Amino acid sequence: MHLISSPELDLFRAACRDWLADNVPQGQRPLEGAALRDYDLAWQRRQYEAGWAGISWPKEYGGRGASVLEQLIWHEEYARAGAPPSASMFVALSHAGPTLIVSGSEAQKQRHLPTILRGEENWCQGFSEPGAGSDLASLKCRATIDGDHLVVNGTKIWTTYAEHAVWQELLVRTDPDLPRHKGISWVICDMRSPGIEVRPIKAMSGLTHFAQVFYDDVRIPLSNVVGEINGGWKVAMTTLGFERGTGTIAHQIELAKVVESLIAMARAMPGGADEAVMADLAVLKSEVMALRSLTVSSVSRGMREVVPGPEGNVVALYFSELARRVNGFAFDLLGPSALERDGAHDWSLHYFESFKWGIGGGTNEVRRNAIAERMLGMPKGPSARDAAR
Amino acid sequence: MIIDLSLSDDQRMIEDGARDFLQDRLPALRLRLPQNHGGAAERAMWPELSGLGLFGLACAEQDGGMGMGLAEQALVARAFGLVLASPAVLAQLAAPHFTAESTLRAALIAGNTRAAFANCLSDGTAHLIDGDGAERVLLLSPEGAILVPRSHLGEAQVAAGMDETVALARLSVPSELPARSAAADRTSLLISAYLTGIAQAATSMAVAYAKTREQFGQPIGGFQAIKHQCANMASREAAAEAQCFYTAVAFGNGHDDASEIAAARMLAARAAIDNAKANIQIHGGMGFTAECDAHLFLKRAHLMALLGSSRAAERHRVLGPAG
Repeated sequence: MHLISSPELDLFRAACRDWLADNVPQGQRPLEGAALRDYDLAWQRRQYEAGWAGISWPKEYGGRGASVLEQLIWHEEYARAGAPPSASMFVALSHAGPTLIVSGSEAQKQRHLPTILRGEENWCQGFSEPGAGSDLASLKCRATIDGDHLVVNGTKIWTTYAEHAVWQELLVRTDPDLPRHKGISWVICDMRSPGIEVRPIKAMSGLTHFAQVFYDDVRIPLSNVVGEINGGWKVAMTTLGFERGTGTIAHQIELAKVVESLIAMARAMPGGADEAVMADLAVLKSEVMALRSLTVSSVSRGMREVVPGPEGNVVALYFSELARRVNGFAFDLLGPSALERDGAHDWSLHYFESFKWGIGGGTNEVRRNAIAERMLGMPKGPSARDAAR
Repeated sequence: MIIDLSLSDDQRMIEDGARDFLQDRLPALRLRLPQNHGGAAERAMWPELSGLGLFGLACAEQDGGMGMGLAEQALVARAFGLVLASPAVLAQLAAPHFTAESTLRAALIAGNTRAAFANCLSDGTAHLIDGDGAERVLLLSPEGAILVPRSHLGEAQVAAGMDETVALARLSVPSELPARSAAADRTSLLISAYLTGIAQAATSMAVAYAKTREQFGQPIGGFQAIKHQCANMASREAAAEAQCFYTAVAFGNGHDDASEIAAARMLAARAAIDNAKANIQIHGGMGFTAECDAHLFLKRAHLMALLGSSRAAERHRVLGPAG
């Protein structure tokens, strides 16, 4: 445990700050749809042209190849500058791209990595199904081999930006007779293929970010299989947690800003701040500081570990629960006026949207199981028992 | 400011050394015997304990210290919490930082002059804690802390304590009153680190029990109702611990120490108390008995949470001045 002071890192921080100050897009970001995608792609292009794209990606694939500490600094400065979240580029930059880097063929890398970094094509994810959520390995979306193609039939759900993505990382069952983790393949699916139907799903916030996707005899070239046929589970698991949590610092800084504005609002209330409200705000502010400390702790481990450990679940669990409480606090603070959605800041939008953090990418229940089983060594439940088979 | 929270080899050695020694020579189960209460077990092994050199860990080498920082000291404080060491031992760790007088400082570092905490009450008295043989008193209140000679405080009246494993005595406070200082901040952080030790011990105890206790034909730790409580305990502890050590490393380097330290204190107190409660619940009927050690962690957690701290004071520090 020590302070790291390095002139190189200070220079790097100053460079991040200067560039962001001049280049972060101004004005209202569209909330959804193709307009949002185009906005995000344009911002990605701008970062690419200035050499900031793919901050954590290796240099040989056009990334910045930044160290874990530089990534942390970048995300800190990024959030402080009020830069847009990676949103519709998230799957491409933080999941599909890294997966191709680790498991893709040379041709697949050449084809896809540059178009991601240049902000030309974005990706979506096709993992979950209506019957395969936390129990992902029970997925049924079927692909049969027909000559040099796979033919896909089935459905995927919770596919964020499905309507607006060009490519999809898709998990399909290529052999139903093998044990369930062993008959799955990871394929690159062109979302413009015939036979794909996208039905948008509206979220509780009113935003329509995700969709259910239906596949009716969709043909995908076998050359789009990443890794081996029936080896898709391993491909998917290799890059889980690739980001090492440096991105969490951006969420933390966002939450800290929200808490500071809540404190200012509470102090400006007619008749002065309510003691009970201030007591709650003090707890929230403490927890936001602890989230930063947890993130720093996780990043510190990331400087030494090759494979991220289960501790990342603690950060994700802590963040998701805190995000709901912070964003929901406006109701305690503002009283009945919080019931109106108009105004400078739509509190309900952020509150309702914050529920996704405890559900998407592994529910908090799954995270608690992982903490108990993998950090505390408690008896394994069905998912871990099954995966060990 | 960038902070690396991974332990260095030296820090690992300090932590392992303190922990192994304490768990071997001063295990929490010693408190099952009343003759070990009130810091008696610690006093019985005082030469050995002070011989470890822990009390001067963060003091300059020319004063007989080891020249390390608050982070290393906090590792030791956490190890004290793990075994529910007498609060007086923690007072000894903090006390050398309150005096500029080199003879006194050297005596405190060497353990030749003993210190104990006294906690101010609202009626002009204070509770002396495990104060037998102490020549200096580290007087605490939510405003801060100050080190005074024992003789400046009045005659002690033995009081019945909520935590029967510590000796509590009431006495009148001196004319000098506790105030905020770097040493007082340091003391608060060391108390927080001790509290995270309690939180960690309660988690370990609950997990160990849940792995062996069987009902419905299987260890209860296989049930999610128990597992998830243990995961919550581990998360609370991890957050409080990260905040404590982040603050310890950043201490004195231009962060807002007051609000960081107060946040560490609020979260550490809550983690210790909530984990101690959950540990009792997971132990079921046994957890409610005096035979099971689970209650000792709850009682000590409450005691440490109230040492020189109040919710209102910590809240004001966390929120900072209205501006």
